[in-house]
Amino acid sequence: MTDFDLSDPLHPERQFAELQAQTRRHFLRSFSGGLGTIFLGAMAAPLFGAIEETNGYTQPLDLKRDPRHPLSVLPPQFTPRAKRVIYLHMAGAPSQLELFDHKPELVRLDGQDCPASLLAGKRFAFITGVPKLLGPQYPFHQVGESGHWISDRLPHLEKHLDELCFVKSMRTDQFNHAPAQLLVQTGNPRLGYPSLGSWVVYGLGSENQNLPGFIVLISGGNMPDGGKQLWGTGFLPSVYQGVQCRSHGEPVLYLESPRDVSREKRRNMLDAIDELNQQNYAAFGNPETVTRIAQYEMSFRMQMDATDAMDIEKEPEVVRTKYGSKIGESSFANNCLVARRLAERGVRFIQLYHWGWDTHGTYATDSLNVGFAKRCLEVDQPIAALLSDLQERGMLEDTLIVWGGEFGRTSMKENRSGQTSQFVGRDHNPGAFTIWLAGGGVKRGHVHGETDDLGYEVVKGPVEIRDLHATILYLLGFDHRKLNYPFQGLDQKLTSVKPSRVVAEILA
Amino acid sequence: MIERIRSASPQFLFGSTILAWFGVLVCLLLFAPPDGKERAELLQFVGRFHSLSVHLPIALLIVVPLIELAGRSRYFPNLLPAVDFLLALAAIGAIGAATLGWCLARSGGFSGRLVTQHMWAGAAVAAIAWTCWFLRTHPASNVQTRFYPLALTFTVGLVFFAGHRGGQLSQGEKYLTEFMPGPLGSLFGASSAGDAPPNSPNGKPGTFFGDRVKPVLAANCVSCHGPGKHKANLRLDNYEAVMRGGKHGPVIMVGDPRSSELFRRITLPSSDRDFMPSEKNPLAAGDINLVQQWIASGASGTLPASDAGANIPAAPTASEVTFPDLDPAAIDKQRASIASLVVQLQQRLPGIIDYESRSSADIVVSAAWMQSRFGDAEVAALAPLADHIVSADFSNTAITDESTRGIAAMKHLRVLRLMHTRIDDAGMQTLSSLADLESLSIFETPVTPSVLLSLARMPKLQHIYVGRTAITPGAKTTDEITHKLIF
Repeated sequence: MTDFDLSDPLHPERQFAELQAQTRRHFLRSFSGGLGTIFLGAMAAPLFGAIEETNGYTQPLDLKRDPRHPLSVLPPQFTPRAKRVIYLHMAGAPSQLELFDHKPELVRLDGQDCPASLLAGKRFAFITGVPKLLGPQYPFHQVGESGHWISDRLPHLEKHLDELCFVKSMRTDQFNHAPAQLLVQTGNPRLGYPSLGSWVVYGLGSENQNLPGFIVLISGGNMPDGGKQLWGTGFLPSVYQGVQCRSHGEPVLYLESPRDVSREKRRNMLDAIDELNQQNYAAFGNPETVTRIAQYEMSFRMQMDATDAMDIEKEPEVVRTKYGSKIGESSFANNCLVARRLAERGVRFIQLYHWGWDTHGTYATDSLNVGFAKRCLEVDQPIAALLSDLQERGMLEDTLIVWGGEFGRTSMKENRSGQTSQFVGRDHNPGAFTIWLAGGGVKRGHVHGETDDLGYEVVKGPVEIRDLHATILYLLGFDHRKLNYPFQGLDQKLTSVKPSRVVAEILA
Repeated sequence: MIERIRSASPQFLFGSTILAWFGVLVCLLLFAPPDGKERAELLQFVGRFHSLSVHLPIALLIVVPLIELAGRSRYFPNLLPAVDFLLALAAIGAIGAATLGWCLARSGGFSGRLVTQHMWAGAAVAAIAWTCWFLRTHPASNVQTRFYPLALTFTVGLVFFAGHRGGQLSQGEKYLTEFMPGPLGSLFGASSAGDAPPNSPNGKPGTFFGDRVKPVLAANCVSCHGPGKHKANLRLDNYEAVMRGGKHGPVIMVGDPRSSELFRRITLPSSDRDFMPSEKNPLAAGDINLVQQWIASGASGTLPASDAGANIPAAPTASEVTFPDLDPAAIDKQRASIASLVVQLQQRLPGIIDYESRSSADIVVSAAWMQSRFGDAEVAALAPLADHIVSADFSNTAITDESTRGIAAMKHLRVLRLMHTRIDDAGMQTLSSLADLESLSIFETPVTPSVLLSLARMPKLQHIYVGRTAITPGAKTTDEITHKLIF
């Protein structure tokens, strides 16, 4: 503990505050518990040492860091295939049947009553009674050397189809947006668990000392339904939380110093605050104090680099045209361009959310014929441009891109009002959906898994969300069972307690 | 006849019933021995109670001699009358357990030396338990009284023998001796020499099978498919047995791993019913690869270890990934010469250098995020680590041609990123000595098409990212280099 100047008038007050913070629990823990532990440690450790190893217990990775540098870089467990991730989450769940999962049989059965066997034991968010099957709303065609099917909604992306690795057999057990998004992003449908990005930054640290290691960008006019918990840290120290940045103006509000406050003045102020925080940390050892210190320091350094990284005006006109980005807008296109700039600057995990894929067909903007087409238009060109930019820079070799929603959509037409409507839509389907991955360590032009003839359920190579997580961690150089954080008596991990498997079939 | 049975003592009835039951059991053992085939599920279900029921007679047969001794002391004389009853119970228990044992062995796919020994030892225990009971209850002559203690001692020995064989069957042959301290272990040293035909040339040391494949099988398969226990009538402890196969036929199809049952089973997902080794960890990818190589190259028993590997197909994509184990001591040793240097440099240039992974002493440099704050002086600071650097990203930094000599000294570089730097043709000339380089990005640099000549000299180069340079898709160069260019 720090030595204090006894003549300091604040000293008795400080001492008093510290004593007040001592509770009966502190006493019991540090006295009896401490004695017991010392005894047990000395006597029993040699006896139990050997058993621990042979019990099949996986020793967690040592992720201890200097407490003053919680974001320092740590090497992965084994040679990684990818160094960073760009995750494009289409919030609201885009229809696999209008984009990638080609089902000719569904065209034939369009308009017929859904067979009872598909409805037995199923719960839907909105469908009631016997719905009608709904054929794909857009024509499909085969593309590229791999000859995979794709609908006509993504004309730019289809030029990169030979780069993508599709998983058409994704499954989830959540059929409402918020819990399903939480499951995809945190491995758990309930609140309070660390997000994928947080785990990655916790495991690997952040290369860039002047930018957060986990940055979140939002577009589409709304927050994803799961809210900010989607990039929260849960029980991990909050220094690993995703930092949501704005795609125009100041990346983080009030990042710039106020007028007339020089950088030097700012530094002096931070030094004083740090000193106090250090004392507090020495007294209580709360990791959140370290987080606070680290965040002050980070924002000070971000003043130099963040604005520059987010500034797409620095890109040549031709590049912005390629993305279809317009300066000053808050758009997915701008976010994709920013994502590339962040990736170039060593940001570990870049998470984009584009809201508005929940196509139930109750009115124009959430229908497959109008709103969905508009969303496709918004993402098609930017994603293609991002892939092309990374590819031509050589960065696709070690950047993993993941595209997907939180569940799929039904093969049946949703008709909530019961009246004839000019808009068509589909309900939520947790039974099957399609995602794709590209870049670092995954096969190119590959399709994994299959759904039935109606695209309703997985029939081959099912992949659970936790399998996807295990696979992403594997590509980053981790055994998902060993990336642990001790909490509530358990070595917690992203993939939770159910067995999960790395999808070896999609690894290059 | 009936009159005689009625008049017979209960003791006689008991003794003869047990004897008759024993006779039936011996007939079963002789004429329907366990043969490694699986049969009716009911029989197997009943048989599963063998390991439960067997413990009662074991305990009784050990307790009887103790009572005989204790009863003769002056403290427990009233224990002695219980012995007759206990022996009778032990005899019933032993013969019952032996019958259940036959059910299990006959229907559960067991056969082999261990099973046979365990079976006859078990039957012998039943027989001698009955004998002890008979001698104890008919102390007619002196001969019999003298034989009784002898028989009892023999019983205990037999119980230990049969019990140990049973333990080996269920827990593995070396269960007891595996962790036995040194001298004791070698005393009991159960070395399991296979029953390979003598002087067989197959699988001798020096052959690919003997040196590479056999150890894999020994470590993963032989505890169930070996000399002691041949589940499914399959043994994998020597070359001849492997090629012979098991009850489902051959497990190796020469030259065709995919149709080989053995290969199919070890490559299934571990959740599959047919997965092998059952209830154990999957084989390591390298081992699976080895087995595949061996089958694909003709599954020979005499192919020398050194010849294999030549005309052998590339590694398959295994259906399960394996996570490499870390050996901290070995890694520390590899890193010993550079460890303190790395720590120093990490302090000076935080976030720039680190090991490629926890299992390697290779270094990865990521300087791109520093942008113009990283320059020639910093590259020079990396010089002492040059030999260990395998991947370096200097994109967007202020480095100039001055640094290229320092970079060229990193002779194990596989990946080099020079995107948006001032490196030009002269600098690239210096870098062309990087013989291990596989991927190079010179996106948006001042290089010209003439640089392609020096790039053509780099033997392992696969991808060259030349976007936004003076090199255009029409650039005149050799075909060999053209298809490596990415614009």
